[in-house]
Amino acid sequence: METRPSFYDEISNMMYATHGEPISTCIQCGTCSGTCPVVEFMDNTPRDLIGMIRADLKDEVLASNTYWYCASCFHCNVRCPARIDIADMMYTLKRYSIWRNQYPAGVLGPTFAETFVKMILSGGRSYEPVLAPAYIFSYGMQGFLNEALTATGLILKGRVPVLPPRIKRLENFRRMVGHVVPVSNLVGETE
Amino acid sequence: MSEKVGVYICHCGSNIAGVVDVEAASKWAGELPDVTVARDYKFMCSSLGQELIENDIKEQGLTRVVVAACSPHLHEATFRNACKRAGLNPFLFEMASIREQVSWVTSDKAVALEKSKALISGAVQRVIHNQPLEPIIVDINPNVLVVGGGITGIQAALEIADAGYHVYLVEREPSIGGHMAQFDKTFPTLDCSACILTPKMFSAGTHPNITLLTWSEVEKVDGFVGNFTVKIRQKARKVKTELCTGCGICEQKCPKKVVDNVFEAGMGYRKAVYTPFPQAVPKYPVMDVQNCTFFQKGTCKACEKFCPTGAIDFKQEDTFVNVNVGNIILATGFDLFDARRIPHYGYGRLANVYNSLEFERLSNSAGPTGGKIILRDGVTVPQSVGILHCVGSRDKNYNPYCSSFCCMQSLKFAHLVKEKTGAQVYNFYIDIRTPLKAYDEFYQHILEADETRFVRGKVAEVTDAARLPGEEGKLIIQVEDTLIGKQRRIPVDMVILSSAIEPRHDSKEVAKLFGIGCSADNWFIERHPKLDPVATMTEGIFIAGVCQGPKDIPQSVVQGAAAAARVIGLINQKQVSLEPVRASVNAEQCSGCRICNNMCPFGAIAFLADRAVSEINPALCQGCGTCVVACPAGAISGSHFTNTQIMSQIEGILMVGLGQLAVPSAEAAPVAR
Amino acid sequence: MKAFAYFPGCSLEKMALSYHQSALESARRLDLEFRELDDWNCCGTTAYFAIDQLLSNTLSARNLALAEKLELDMVAPCAGCYKNAYFTNVYLKHDADLAEHINEALKEDDLHYSGTIQVYHLLEVFANDVGVEEIKKRVAQSLNGLKVAPYYGCQIVRPRKDHEEVEDPRYFEDLLSATGATPVNYQLKTRCCGGSLLITSRKAAFSMARNLLQNAVDNGAQVIATACPMCQVNLECYQQQINQEFGAKFNMPILYFTQLLGLALGAAPKELGFGSELVSAASVLSQIQKKEAGK
Repeated sequence: METRPSFYDEISNMMYATHGEPISTCIQCGTCSGTCPVVEFMDNTPRDLIGMIRADLKDEVLASNTYWYCASCFHCNVRCPARIDIADMMYTLKRYSIWRNQYPAGVLGPTFAETFVKMILSGGRSYEPVLAPAYIFSYGMQGFLNEALTATGLILKGRVPVLPPRIKRLENFRRMVGHVVPVSNLVGETE
Repeated sequence: MSEKVGVYICHCGSNIAGVVDVEAASKWAGELPDVTVARDYKFMCSSLGQELIENDIKEQGLTRVVVAACSPHLHEATFRNACKRAGLNPFLFEMASIREQVSWVTSDKAVALEKSKALISGAVQRVIHNQPLEPIIVDINPNVLVVGGGITGIQAALEIADAGYHVYLVEREPSIGGHMAQFDKTFPTLDCSACILTPKMFSAGTHPNITLLTWSEVEKVDGFVGNFTVKIRQKARKVKTELCTGCGICEQKCPKKVVDNVFEAGMGYRKAVYTPFPQAVPKYPVMDVQNCTFFQKGTCKACEKFCPTGAIDFKQEDTFVNVNVGNIILATGFDLFDARRIPHYGYGRLANVYNSLEFERLSNSAGPTGGKIILRDGVTVPQSVGILHCVGSRDKNYNPYCSSFCCMQSLKFAHLVKEKTGAQVYNFYIDIRTPLKAYDEFYQHILEADETRFVRGKVAEVTDAARLPGEEGKLIIQVEDTLIGKQRRIPVDMVILSSAIEPRHDSKEVAKLFGIGCSADNWFIERHPKLDPVATMTEGIFIAGVCQGPKDIPQSVVQGAAAAARVIGLINQKQVSLEPVRASVNAEQCSGCRICNNMCPFGAIAFLADRAVSEINPALCQGCGTCVVACPAGAISGSHFTNTQIMSQIEGILMVGLGQLAVPSAEAAPVAR
Repeated sequence: MKAFAYFPGCSLEKMALSYHQSALESARRLDLEFRELDDWNCCGTTAYFAIDQLLSNTLSARNLALAEKLELDMVAPCAGCYKNAYFTNVYLKHDADLAEHINEALKEDDLHYSGTIQVYHLLEVFANDVGVEEIKKRVAQSLNGLKVAPYYGCQIVRPRKDHEEVEDPRYFEDLLSATGATPVNYQLKTRCCGGSLLITSRKAAFSMARNLLQNAVDNGAQVIATACPMCQVNLECYQQQINQEFGAKFNMPILYFTQLLGLALGAAPKELGFGSELVSAASVLSQIQKKEAGK
């Protein structure tokens, strides 16, 4: 009989780079959620999410906005009595959700992250104007106008780059990145 | 003359036989030179198994026995006794461990058989060279030393004293009583702690069989079970106890007030000359020379002026006393976790955050506020109180263990606060641990009667940064209420931390002093966590109470009594037999270099200056073997671990490994260096 | 003259140019040499972690290799860049397989990582390397009691690197005290500003920034000093929108700590990038000059 790894196994295995303890050791104390500065905007608290992962509730976990709302401030990490790398778990879920193309409707994180990565590959450094289209149109009219206003203020103060940057050895840089991820079809190409 | 060796190979059910071909091993062993009989049997440690050995000794005239089975740690004593019963000296027995060393570490049957043969061969070669030895019998001094005068030490001391033996009870504080004397009420009965403790303190203080040595510390321990010599430093009280009546005038007249960081947990004051609390036993005060005006500036001396019996003696020095005891019980208790290590709980920074001992003193009617639960301003009665469980416990960042009694303590606090102030109480917990008799009923009572709000969540932080309405001027507890999955901010007036308990800050040094070990968390190590919690690996030294690990008062009392019973049992035997594994110096080979003298952890080696050789005292020697190895001339050998015995064992093993079954005789085996 | 390999990071080029200018000016006045890495690339911030961690490490590894070429320890003014470089350095030092893999990639740019340098954040270089005593000696114009909220933010302080104090660090306060400013009791000093949530989860970021601003106001701060461009932008550039959202009246200048340090060391505001703020820092400057006049 073939067995596929459970969702819990998948996530636990993907946390390979974490220097913390496995999520099986979570005692559900709630310190992470009590600490999290963003928790009031999350569908599920971080502790709750760990419980859901352990219960293999894959669809519910991926449909929760929690992990895309994580600011990775690491406060949960330093306080967790079980020393679990919770921020890394959130990143793992982010990556998993992009890989599986399964995340809540309306979260801007995936598009933003992908756009950011592409932006860096095109010039080697950040260029804010290229990022704006990735999110600004989902803000609604008021939000769009507010953002335009703020951006104008920043431009007038000389704080927004005009020309896109380009590092000298951009080709080498791209080839270097190519060792890790295929540059040509970097993101968005899912199964 | 060759020996007649009997080899017995145990199946241990399928533990060994499942991996090792015991029949083949037995057949093979039977072919070895000097082996008269070789058998295999299902359970050698059973009475039938032992009878096999006994019968063969009697009927076949065996002179040596080898059992290949589990480990000596488990059954060496069993088989030695079997030999003894059959009239063979128990030291003419050797064990080969083919379970822990073979069947439990490999599943490869071919490899297992080869290694078993090697170990059996080694054991056979070795046992041939074993010599009959007689255990060393020493008398047991009936006196007992108990270190630590808290409830555990007091319990142990009283039981031993009542049994008719003399106890020296050493306590480093000015009075016995320990932490229990600081508590207000005790769970689950809500008995006043001092009320149940002080009668025992008084008994201990007046018992004819107990010598109280308070304001004292153990400096040095020499000797071994039954015969310890202990040097105790009696710190100078600066009070002549033979003249002092305990009237307390000195304390009254002393002008110097000092924050009492020990008994009052920093919540109240004492004087520079003081007794820690009114029911102190003994009643004699001590002088705190760091804070005494006379010692610091050369003036005052009010106590001396007013003492009606002239008992003050500024010139008094520390004295030393040596006591001879047969057994020692350590009951040194615990220290409280320093909650400043958790900055986000605000202890030490935010005024109205208290740790557990501070709260006990607050609530105690003999405490600095007369039992009124009021805030640090000395006036305000809190209207809302948060009690945090698991502060510094169950936390890999601080202490990974559970401190055992703090859930019950937190419930008790909830009850006391409600009773005295009517405040709204919140308990913040991860689990409620109430395992013992009447404990869960206590929890039920708090749930039903006291309107305490239980929030399941470990508190994330305690802050004074107000954000929402109603938080201004309060301590805000931020926590996830995990049962509803929401972060909550709960403003309260007062926060009580149920902090972890930790081993005493000097537990490692104390362990070393007495020759016992500490666990990774620094609690003293017991001989066996399940079956022998009060004994240690060192004969004659016992541990009891929280110093062995977190526990509450009933469990501490039980351990104190258990240690006392063990000691009384030993004393009643009048003698103890010690393993005759001892080192001895061959004076002819000794060059007098004295390297061994300082190596001995037991101080058993003396240097005989007139003959310029070192000599080992067999009574003190514990047979550790350090000197045997250290001696550059090879002049020291350990009985039952002679060079010949060890080398023969090695050769026995190697012969199998090299495929040579014929082994050289004992005389040909050189002592290689 | 202690020298460091200087890794400015993308923000310091334009958005946080004042941080760059004031950092170099302050360094100059404290006899520190900051040599900018040649052809450095973006560190990937938090966005790359959402795609692939190895990718993020590779980006930081190139910068580390560039610093190794200079044979100097690296200093990064941006908390995000610092955190990425620091931990990439740690991982590569301890994981030979990972280092081998990444060195294969680095070959494309003739670079090699050997694990020979350390990574520091700008704040710790001033506070610890230079030290409070040295700074006190060089103060030319004491900030005389200016009430500053020391905002550490999250990425400098966390994750924990050794066994250092992460809940209540004090080196930023000590640095500010050395300049003559008065650091206020800022309870939320290590709480997150929201970082990139500003873009992806705006409401959440506004809420977090608002709490930080309110806490500073409650503690009497006249200015918040930051050590990260993201924090500065989140706290400063959206105050108008936050005021709208929450009906608040924030008008809190948000300056880089190097701007305050630079002023204390005697630099002119123009040399420190003053003038590019969205929330005017005029009140800060006049506070300092007022004390000056009163001296």
